[in-house]
Amino acid sequence: MAEVAARELPESIKPPDLIQGGEDFTSITNTVARVAEYKPPKGWYIAFGIAVSVLGVLLAMLGYLFWKGVGIWGNNQPVAWGWPIVNFVFWVGIGHAGTLISAVLFLFRQQWRTSINRFAEAMTIFAVMCAGLFPAIHVGRPWLAYWLFPIPNQMRMWPNFRSPLLWDVFAVSTYATVSLLFWYMGMVPDLATLRDRATKKLPRLLYGVFALGWTGSNRAWHRFERAYLLLAALATPLVLSVHSVVSFDFAVAQLPGWHTTIFPPYFVAGAIFSGFAMVITLMVPARQFFGLKNLVTMRHLENMCKVIMATGMMVGYAYGVEFFIAWYSGNKYEGFVFINRALGNYAWAYWTMVTCNVLLPQVFWFRKMRRNLVVMFVIAAFVNVGMWFERFVITVTSTSRDFLPSSWHYFTPTLFDAVILLGSFGLFFTFFLLFCRFLPTVAMAEVKTVLPEAHPGHHHQPAEVER
Amino acid sequence: MSPLNRHRPESGYWRSLEQLAATPEYQELAAREFPDGGGEVEWTESTRRRFLQLVGASVALAGASACYWQKEMIAPFRDRPEGRVPGIPRRFATAMELGGWAAGLVVTSYDGRPVKVEGNPDHPGSAGATNAFAQAATLELYDPDRARAVLRAGGDGAVEETDWAAFDQWAERHFAGLAGRGQALAVVAEASHSPSLERLRARFAERFPGALWATWEPVNRDEETAGCALAFGRPLRPVNHFELASVVLSLDGDPLLDHPDAVRQARGFAARRRPEGEMSRVYAVESRYTTTGAAADHRLPLRSEQVEPFLLDLEAVLAEEHGLEVPGGVHGRNLGGDRVHDFLAALAEDLAAHRGAGLITVGPGQPARVHARAQRLNALLGNTGRTVEYLPAAAPIGVNGLRQVVAGLNAGAIETVVVLGGNPVYDAPADLDFAGAYAKAGERIHLSLYRNETSRASTWQLPRAHFLEAWGDCRSWDGTVSLRQPLIDPLYGGRSELELLARLVGAEAVDGRTIVRRTHGRASDADWRGWLHDGLIAGSRPAPETVRAGELPPPALAPEQLRDRLGNGELELTFHADSTLYDGRFANSSWLQELPDPLTTLTWDNALLVAVGTAAELGVAHGDLVDLRVGEVELRLPVYVMPGQAPGSLAVALGYGRTAAGHVGGLVEDEVAPVGFDAYRLRTSGALWRLGGAGLAPTGLKYELATVQDHHQIDTVGQKGRDERLAEVVRETDLAGFRREPDFARHLVHHPPAKSLFPQREYDHGHQWGMAIDLNQCTGCNACTIACQAENNIPVVGKEQVLVGREMHWIRIDRYFKGEADDPQVVNQPMACQHCEMAPCEEVCPAAATMHSAEGLNEMVYNRCIGTRYCSNNCPFKVRRFNFFNYNEELKGEENKVKWLGKNPEVTIRFRGVMEKCTFCVQRIAAARHDARVRGGEVGGNDVVTACQQVCPTGAIVFGDLNDPDSRVARIHATPRAYEMLTELNLHTRTRYLARVRNPHPRLAPAAAAGHGAAAEEVHHG
Repeated sequence: MAEVAARELPESIKPPDLIQGGEDFTSITNTVARVAEYKPPKGWYIAFGIAVSVLGVLLAMLGYLFWKGVGIWGNNQPVAWGWPIVNFVFWVGIGHAGTLISAVLFLFRQQWRTSINRFAEAMTIFAVMCAGLFPAIHVGRPWLAYWLFPIPNQMRMWPNFRSPLLWDVFAVSTYATVSLLFWYMGMVPDLATLRDRATKKLPRLLYGVFALGWTGSNRAWHRFERAYLLLAALATPLVLSVHSVVSFDFAVAQLPGWHTTIFPPYFVAGAIFSGFAMVITLMVPARQFFGLKNLVTMRHLENMCKVIMATGMMVGYAYGVEFFIAWYSGNKYEGFVFINRALGNYAWAYWTMVTCNVLLPQVFWFRKMRRNLVVMFVIAAFVNVGMWFERFVITVTSTSRDFLPSSWHYFTPTLFDAVILLGSFGLFFTFFLLFCRFLPTVAMAEVKTVLPEAHPGHHHQPAEVER
Repeated sequence: MSPLNRHRPESGYWRSLEQLAATPEYQELAAREFPDGGGEVEWTESTRRRFLQLVGASVALAGASACYWQKEMIAPFRDRPEGRVPGIPRRFATAMELGGWAAGLVVTSYDGRPVKVEGNPDHPGSAGATNAFAQAATLELYDPDRARAVLRAGGDGAVEETDWAAFDQWAERHFAGLAGRGQALAVVAEASHSPSLERLRARFAERFPGALWATWEPVNRDEETAGCALAFGRPLRPVNHFELASVVLSLDGDPLLDHPDAVRQARGFAARRRPEGEMSRVYAVESRYTTTGAAADHRLPLRSEQVEPFLLDLEAVLAEEHGLEVPGGVHGRNLGGDRVHDFLAALAEDLAAHRGAGLITVGPGQPARVHARAQRLNALLGNTGRTVEYLPAAAPIGVNGLRQVVAGLNAGAIETVVVLGGNPVYDAPADLDFAGAYAKAGERIHLSLYRNETSRASTWQLPRAHFLEAWGDCRSWDGTVSLRQPLIDPLYGGRSELELLARLVGAEAVDGRTIVRRTHGRASDADWRGWLHDGLIAGSRPAPETVRAGELPPPALAPEQLRDRLGNGELELTFHADSTLYDGRFANSSWLQELPDPLTTLTWDNALLVAVGTAAELGVAHGDLVDLRVGEVELRLPVYVMPGQAPGSLAVALGYGRTAAGHVGGLVEDEVAPVGFDAYRLRTSGALWRLGGAGLAPTGLKYELATVQDHHQIDTVGQKGRDERLAEVVRETDLAGFRREPDFARHLVHHPPAKSLFPQREYDHGHQWGMAIDLNQCTGCNACTIACQAENNIPVVGKEQVLVGREMHWIRIDRYFKGEADDPQVVNQPMACQHCEMAPCEEVCPAAATMHSAEGLNEMVYNRCIGTRYCSNNCPFKVRRFNFFNYNEELKGEENKVKWLGKNPEVTIRFRGVMEKCTFCVQRIAAARHDARVRGGEVGGNDVVTACQQVCPTGAIVFGDLNDPDSRVARIHATPRAYEMLTELNLHTRTRYLARVRNPHPRLAPAAAAGHGAAAEEVHHG
């Protein structure tokens, strides 16, 4: 019945197919697997060279950091948390889109996710790696950072379970573990495909090891899908929990500007916002270079633009509510923090944030803009910048001017702050480029399920003409 | 036949079983020179690698051979000195002389190392407190930059290290040659009131008749002595009794900080600033904002040169309106303006109403005629003999002595100059060109603690013993003679000025103890021991003199002229002793360099203080580098736009720009840039304190000033936010308001009941430590900051780190301006860890590195701290301090080992990456507990005295057991004036502040209390 109805829909409003360009089972496998099987284009080598160099700079900087101490950053009294924590929250936020796309959209049967979920999950893993780096290196004695974990010891000394920072350790490590498992498990059938297609000994061995002896039998598929569903169900609350807990780092503290009940939902919305922006930032060039245009279609990108616009407005709403509550609470310290944000000595950062996060995404109201690759790439880049500034505004402006005016102090970052942030992108892209090169960037098995061929009764219909 | 026998070597001996067996392997081995592994070097691929492996391994193992602890011998005392237990600190009374005046001290010594200076509680001048300079004495003692050896400079400038024996031999011959002809000899000495020095000086005059003895002290109160001579006919020094004064007028001075008797005066001042008891009223008329001005009820910013007309006006008002008889008549009204008129009317009314209970003091920078007029007014008002006493003083020499020496040198008459301490090459008036004249002397002998500018221009550079290393005696401002006993042998074999002088005059006794003992020769041994124990000679105060007010010469300028000179846009420049470096002698003390000025909060620099309005007129901004021109001399220095500075008056602190202070204060020779700007270059013998006609030219360059507060000029939003909350942070009212509502401070902030997420711990048994700080007593002198630094091994961080905002002081004095930028009020608030019972820092530390003790201390566990700095973020007072770098790196290196001696062994030295903060001197609590246990008793509620409390001249800080209802702190916490900070955060702080209460003249009151009243009203009923 539904198919009949669909056919009767006028052409202009009929949703286009998720996969375009007449791809079929074979061509999808070929398209995706080819990337891993043949030498990559020259551009990959250049990009990888740059990424590895930047990673090298990061490692050198970390060496210097351990040698000299965290004083090489701009942190001071009262701004005890500076760029490292800003970067941490920034990367954790980016790491959100992966789980959201994989787990939440999976549970909601949003089939368009299949083309981009692998990509987004990989991004999540690498973003969480970058995120995990910062708390570890930002502590004064990084060689003792493992004390944050509840490791049984001869002193029977436990960490302080009241500290949100400890909750954070649990939340982020749980998230990293589940995301990694989810990503890897989803990849097993595709790894098996690569194994089967591999012509050389080493790839066959390695893909074979990681494919865990996948046979593609009915039983294997059955169990795979069960496990995938369970993991998706497990990961879904994490989407909400991890950034909620990250927000507790601020919200549980009593500092005006941090001590806010809106933080958990506001942080989650912001994380999804920044995560999707990062997916677009990466996806737009990647689908170009690796020839995945038919799999990652304009419809996918457009959907993501819609998500960006929606979450951007949620974030904007949160900005507004913060001001309202600051006024409504009648608390003068709280009120001052927000007036100071908007009009004080960090107004430039605040308005950068508002412009990038709230104003610019409004262009996605227009379908034309949502379907323009350049526009969406630029806007996504601005959103990335804006979301970094959001964390900067939260972290720095609140501490910079808290209760006693005698301790107020402006925060000025140093060169090391900037280089280490840059270096974290080196870490991210090094892994990301390796992923693009050696692993299936699109979930082949899943994409095939959304092809018309996968639908029962497909062969009874005349082949549709693609636009 | 055994296989071993088959190939028996021909020699009959065999090296191994392999040889005996004659295996092919052995044959090969024997053919080679070295066994495997150390084989022939063939430069093939594989052996190159092997070579590198071996090189690497040998380098690595070479290091391993050094892995031994350095051998150290620890020998016990063969005969333990009586009463000495290793590790138990001992305390000795001694004294420190500064600017010729003594401060009585008690110094704590651990195993022979003096580590902490306290005031001598028995000394009338200190009463157990000290100023910041005395607190920094131990750092100076252990300064590796101190002069370490006798140096002899040849004619070619080459400096050669020699010893005292060589000097003594030379000196004996040289001074024997001078014995008859004293004209060829001059001595330039620091001011001193040492009886022993006076005795030796008499011997000196005998041996070298005609020799010049010049006293040079760049910071002195000569004008005051001269003024007394003018007023009363003989040189005197006034001893002020603030504790008896109901009305105080401070004219262009800072009797609470910049005075030889400041500690005693501050205590006296505080005794009369108790709103529950007696409240004095303090007026300050000054060109530069001082701590006295900040403590005053009314302050009038006036140019330094307008103080004289102001005083004339005061005389006129007193004579005309209050019937005061002024001998010689009055000189009419000189100053215009309602503000001045109202001020004068109120002041005159108060002074007239409190005859015998008023006190007028004048700063050192005012000319003698102003002092004379002010002291005469004291006499006319009947204050003399009550609030001010006069003690005999030597006639001031001022610049004259130095001028004679320079003249003698330039004329070639003086061949040998002995400079006892001091640093005249650096700090002599610029017009004398002392350095140029000094170079003309054939022999220039300088006894000095440091190889300073003068030493480097001398032919004999002699190391001086630190006051903690040498015997001596000295007099304090109030007249008491103190004995100075050493706590440690001279670290670098230095000699005291007494010991050197004794040799030069050919005295038979040349060791310090004997010299001093002989000065007080009539004393019995029992007396002597008693004096040493007490640190002072009882009954050594001279009797005060009686004075009579007479006529004064008329003012230098006629009233019409005075009026003409005012307000013509001419800039005046005043000099003042720096609040932390004094005259520059403490320039190499990193503690004092980093100690913020009480009013500017400036560290590591001096600057040109310019009034807000004047800066706008001149078109200069805060931090601008300007060229300050006085006559022909130009000095480039930064501008500090200072609220409350008198319009048209510029001020600059002396003591900076040292080129040979040391590795902290500037050592050009070693490429250590001078700290700050040398204002002595502008100072001439005719204008030691104030000069007119200063010009100022902007350079367009900027300079970074490292202040610990308001690091950057604040924007209007910040300004507004600050003003809104100031009334809640530092709570104050006036006396009338306080009497109406004594607990006003507790009602300034009302909030709904606060609840805790976590169960609240009960602190109802045992000792519960707490602190009370009286904002009415605190003068902001900063002594607590540096006492804390000395007690708790707090590192200094340097100017760059202060600029970033990483200073480490555990207790800081917050300074806030209130009101108009041109004429603001200042409030101070000492701020250290408040030891909240519901400490926000403790809750958020993931490593559980900051915890609460059962006695209510918020404790920092350094070795548990990993440095997340979360605690600092969550601390509402921002009193936590983080070791961003290893700030104790200065302890590294052989040459710095001496610094280790100055560290308090009871307090851990913190490593980088660790948070630290005020501990309530937990080591002192532990010591008290230990003492009590040994005694078999309990620690009393007042038994523990923190370092900040002990040093505070005004007694503003009180510490003790809150669970003991009879302890001082518990009683103070219960007074209505006590309030807790930020109660709405449910902190339950253990420190409470006593609100400030001003005592304005009723007619001037509205202006003084307007801002506060409105804010209080609004919050209270809001």
